[in-house]
Amino acid sequence: MAKAARKDKFAPMLARLVLFRILESLPTILGVVTLVFFLLHLVPGDPVDALLGETALAADKEALRKAMRLDEPLYAQYINYISGLTHGDWGKSIISHSDVWTLITERLPATAQLAATSLLLAMILALPLGMIAARFQGKAQDAAAMSFSLLGVSIPNFWLGPMLMLVFSVFLGWLPVSGMEASGSIILPTITMGTALAAVLSRMARASWLESMQSDAIRTARAMGVAESTLWWKHSARMTAIPVVTMFALQMGAVLGGAVITETVFDWPGLGLLTIEAIQRRDYPLVQGCVLIIALFYVLANLLADLLNLWLDPRQRKQS
Amino acid sequence: MDTCLQLVDSRLRGNDGKETVTIFKAIPKSVYICLLLPALVLLVSAMQSMDGHAVDLHQVLSGSTATHWLGTDALGRDILSRLAEGIGLSFSVAVSVITVCAVIGISVGMVAAWLGGWVDSVLMRFVDIVLSFPGILLAIALAAVLGPGVENLIFALAAVGWVGFARLTRAQVLSLRHAPYIEAAIASGQDTVHIAFKHLLPNIAAPLLIEASFGLAAVMIGEAGLSFLGIGIQPPDASLGTMIREGSQLMLVAPMQVFYPGLMLFLLVMSANIAGDALRDYWDVRSKR
Repeated sequence: MAKAARKDKFAPMLARLVLFRILESLPTILGVVTLVFFLLHLVPGDPVDALLGETALAADKEALRKAMRLDEPLYAQYINYISGLTHGDWGKSIISHSDVWTLITERLPATAQLAATSLLLAMILALPLGMIAARFQGKAQDAAAMSFSLLGVSIPNFWLGPMLMLVFSVFLGWLPVSGMEASGSIILPTITMGTALAAVLSRMARASWLESMQSDAIRTARAMGVAESTLWWKHSARMTAIPVVTMFALQMGAVLGGAVITETVFDWPGLGLLTIEAIQRRDYPLVQGCVLIIALFYVLANLLADLLNLWLDPRQRKQS
Repeated sequence: MDTCLQLVDSRLRGNDGKETVTIFKAIPKSVYICLLLPALVLLVSAMQSMDGHAVDLHQVLSGSTATHWLGTDALGRDILSRLAEGIGLSFSVAVSVITVCAVIGISVGMVAAWLGGWVDSVLMRFVDIVLSFPGILLAIALAAVLGPGVENLIFALAAVGWVGFARLTRAQVLSLRHAPYIEAAIASGQDTVHIAFKHLLPNIAAPLLIEASFGLAAVMIGEAGLSFLGIGIQPPDASLGTMIREGSQLMLVAPMQVFYPGLMLFLLVMSANIAGDALRDYWDVRSKR
């Protein structure tokens, strides 16, 4: 009863806080859009020359320049770009002439699928590893778990991928080498991407278990005679959840950056591969769109981490 | 260099330099073990003094031979020499990038923390925006736009990397801003540059050196990653990343081609990570992440 009443009192305040955080991220989003725009418009050399070659006819160059609206002054291009974005117009690909937004949404499901399985794998690996390492701090189990973590952060995914292919596809013949059609084709990219994530997460999980077990709250509970297992599973687990969930949300954004390389290794037809294809074809509007969408997801993941933190940690709410 | 480190070390541990300890004691043996194989490759390659660019189409993809200890690649070039070139490149790019990042990042962080106000707001807003991108993505976009070449590669990686130093320096300087010895220095009329170099820098060096160590690992992976994607080091120059790229296309015929460069990169990155961890434990700096 009392709890419900308190909730009612805090709910509007929390809603305001959430709204404030969302509004706060708007300037960041504008900054990201601006940076992406200028990144690709301050290219040394003429993009039209780069596309058509220096020997192209002057008339063709002029036509393309008009089509890309490169004949307008920079500030006009910038305003056009921003107003286009607000109307859902992400521009047109130079190569295929289709909408950038359509091209992106075509590739999004594949990346989402790979990101989901990788994050799941990372979670399944990292939480037990982190806990075991914390429980047996300084012992062999700890050393083993942390060695795995060290290996995971040190192994480049563009090497792990080919090595996994070599063992499981070439030598053993168990799994398809690349692409997305064959069954089981998601397994190797998932391991490739999940390993690094698991390494980071398990470290984080270990550190927060240790920190919570050394906290005053746990010490008091222990002094009051609470069983060690209850301490671990009930009290410490809740404290550990906060940084781990936050970290997990942050990783959701990071995974998209990692996807660029992993998808290239495995020819996985997602957003990352689209980005690299666009770069290789010098399809600048498409590059712009890809970089922007990935960065926007990253900003959203950060926002989500913030909001989750606010939801899970009463201290944060009070502070804000 | 050594005395400089001793000075930093003594400040951090508060023993006034009476104890002659250096941070080299803090580096565990596993770092040297990791560096053993890359060092061996460099040594043997230096002794053989073969040209890693010399094409020999009569000896394409050969296994280990008396002349080519690790065999040859698809153009008959000596793999050992190319590995050595790749290791050297990886290391020199990483050191250059980290140096640039440190100089820019530390300056920006110090200026932001020292001046505060709108300067701080503007600088940190910019840092936040750069941090709104997954690091590797921004580096990929920059490198793609700037075009291939070592200088552009260094620029792309540094443009992404400096923000970490800036944030860290700002936080550290803010925490020291009102320390008694800093206020004393200000009161006694010492100029800001003197305070920055003589009082601030040695006292915030520990977390910065740790950041640099992890930064080396990240930049080595970043450089090889961009080269792997074909937007970093260009053929015929050898980078560990381009070697992995070339090797992974020949996996069915010559599996070792992708194994060697990756192993070297992995060992280099791991040694930098272990060193970073060890320094963190040694100076007992709390994990900032």
